[in-house]
Amino acid sequence: MAISVTTAMPTSFKVEILKAVHNFTASTGNTFKLALMKATAAGSGTYGAATTSYDTLVSNTDELANGSGYTTGGNTLTSVTPVADGTTAVCDFDNTTWSAATFTTCGGIIYNDTAAGNPACAVLSFGGDQQVSSGDFQVQFPAAAAATAIIRIA
Amino acid sequence: MLSANGGALLGDIRATTVSGRGFTPEELVDNTLDRIIFISTSADPVLRQQAEAFRKSIRSVLLNYGNQCVRSNHTTLANRLRDVGHSDLIKLLEN
Repeated sequence: MAISVTTAMPTSFKVEILKAVHNFTASTGNTFKLALMKATAAGSGTYGAATTSYDTLVSNTDELANGSGYTTGGNTLTSVTPVADGTTAVCDFDNTTWSAATFTTCGGIIYNDTAAGNPACAVLSFGGDQQVSSGDFQVQFPAAAAATAIIRIA
Repeated sequence: MLSANGGALLGDIRATTVSGRGFTPEELVDNTLDRIIFISTSADPVLRQQAEAFRKSIRSVLLNYGNQCVRSNHTTLANRLRDVGHSDLIKLLEN
C-alpha cells in the first residue's frame, strides 16, 4: 500500500470553525504546525477531506522520521491574523522552510497544536514526491487575497 | 455552503526544493514576491501595469537587502571562524 493524499479542507475543520475550536490570531491565537508525510511508497494511509487529525498521521506511522532536517510534529507556522478581503475572510501563514534537509515527502497536514486532539485544518498534496538532499525544502503559501488565500470563507 | 455563492475554501500551496545548497536570495525573493503583491488576471490593464512596475521595484529592493543579509552573515561567520583559529576556512565563504 502507498500513501494516498488529496489536497482538501477536512470536513471536521468546517465543523470546528463553527464550534470556535480554532483561533488564527497572530501571537495570541493557537499554535499551528505543518507536519510532513513520508514518500508515497514509504507509507500506507489515505489523507483528504475525511482526515480529522494529525494523530492519524502518527498512528499510521506516515510522518517523516525525526532528524535529517525534520523535527517530529513539523514546523510551527507563523499565522497572520485573519482579515476580510471584500466579502471574503482570509487566513494566511508565512512561507516555511526546512533547512539542511535530506528527505522525500509527498504531502503534509496543517493542524492545530494547541487544541485537544491536534485537529487538522488542511491536507496538502505536493503533487507527487518532493525530494531534497542536503538542501532546503520550502512550502510557499498563496497571497492572502479573496481568490487565493490558503484558508478562506467566502 | 455558507451562502448561495460562498463556502469554506482552500488555496493552492507550492513546494520548492534545492539540493546540495540553500536557497539563493533571488529564489527567496521570487518566492516571497507573490505574497507581497498579487496581481489578479482580471485586473484593469492600467492598474496591472502599475502593479507590475511596483512589483519590479520591490523585487530590486528585497534582492538588495537579501544579498546584504548574506554578506553580513558571512562577516559574522568569518569572525567566528577566526576566533576559533580556523582563518583558513574563511575563503570558503568568498564564493
